[in-house]
Amino acid sequence: MTSDDHELHTLAGAFVLDAVSDTERASFSAHVAGCAECRADVSELHEAAARLGTAEAVRPRPELRELTIQAAYQTSQLAPVTGKRTNDHGTRRPARPGRLHRLRAVPAVIGTAAALAIAAGIAVGTHYADQQGQRSLRQARMVSEVLNAPDAVMRTAPVSTGGMAIVVTSRHEHMGVFIAHGLPALPRARSYEVWLMGPHGEQSAGLLTVRAKGMAGPVVLGPMSPGDMVGLTVEPAGGSLRPTSAPVVLIGPTSR
Amino acid sequence: MTDGDQRHESVPGMPARGAPGQALRLDELLTAVARGDERAYEAVYDLTSGWVLGVARRVVRDPALAEEVMQEVLLDVWRRASRFDPALGSGATWVMTLAHRRAVDRVRSERSQVSRERRAATAVIDYDDVTETVEASLDAERVKRCLTSLTELQRECVSLAYYGGYSYREVAELLSVPAGTVKTRMRDGLIRLRDCLGVQR
Repeated sequence: MTSDDHELHTLAGAFVLDAVSDTERASFSAHVAGCAECRADVSELHEAAARLGTAEAVRPRPELRELTIQAAYQTSQLAPVTGKRTNDHGTRRPARPGRLHRLRAVPAVIGTAAALAIAAGIAVGTHYADQQGQRSLRQARMVSEVLNAPDAVMRTAPVSTGGMAIVVTSRHEHMGVFIAHGLPALPRARSYEVWLMGPHGEQSAGLLTVRAKGMAGPVVLGPMSPGDMVGLTVEPAGGSLRPTSAPVVLIGPTSR
Repeated sequence: MTDGDQRHESVPGMPARGAPGQALRLDELLTAVARGDERAYEAVYDLTSGWVLGVARRVVRDPALAEEVMQEVLLDVWRRASRFDPALGSGATWVMTLAHRRAVDRVRSERSQVSRERRAATAVIDYDDVTETVEASLDAERVKRCLTSLTELQRECVSLAYYGGYSYREVAELLSVPAGTVKTRMRDGLIRLRDCLGVQR
């Protein structure tokens, strides 16, 4: 155990109590992913913390029952995560928004810089589609849907190892797109991998291939949930089931 | 571990009210909800909405806001049911994790406008009513009893974080204790709570 690991290990209690920052939450999740013993510990502590909550039970007003249940029936469900790897988003139907969707619309943030980045994204998407054929055409269509969504919101963040990451999300579409530029090339034995990091763990959104000038992506993110963060890690070539290193960039969460 | 002899009667994530075995049933119900089973969802609502509202009330404190949080969480349960994995923990814990996370997110965004002084004052109130349970139940009694088995600092750290929605750094500031100490007290406090409640996986 390195001193960094030790430092993370002591975070278990604060993590379980939701008393950590988003960055710490992500690093800790990544740490736990690679540590079976920590997973068992954390899971037991989660059970204990949950009891602090269930002990507070109160009876909700009866009229909330029908309201909530009807709202749920109008809302589509996330498709099961079938495989270990979730590269092929073509097989995962993006959730369509329900009529009674309670999420507040986020105003589109389309400044000059954002417009440029989005244009670049579309160019990248087209290039990608040309290269990879049918499946990528479908991806490119999803990319353009997100980028053109009226509620599209763009976030950018520097990548700690160099370059810039851009995430465009549409809550209405429950989807997002990850693009990066200026990313340093990796040795042959390593790959960049994009993750959705949500309240209940991480999910791979796919590998990120770096092309000319460190341009990378787009990677389609979705279906996304409010609260999901988007992280980029460096993994062994071909990717991992769970992040094995701390994110070099972390963007989000998508809610509020 | 004063409650070691009671271990056998504890069910992981045992609900605040209801018969033993309900926890297992909730796991199965959630699995059915993942397939879009509406009847199962109604049963999940009946089993969990009271817990979710309870934790939301404690954390966000505003009853109207708490109802909003409860509805959002229950919608989340419907939407994300396919992500529930019984191998990783009980259904009750899964629901309560979603609920607490959302309540904390909400209270933090509300709190970001409030001054530090107000925050400190609120924190004192937070802690004062920690031992007051909203609805008496066997489970609530037990949790209350187990909380008293923690050292005072452990209890303060755990309560301010869980019920107050404070980060460990904020707790450190509120209690004038080093952040590292708060982190370890949170962990040790939860371990003690786990042992007292007889949580097993």
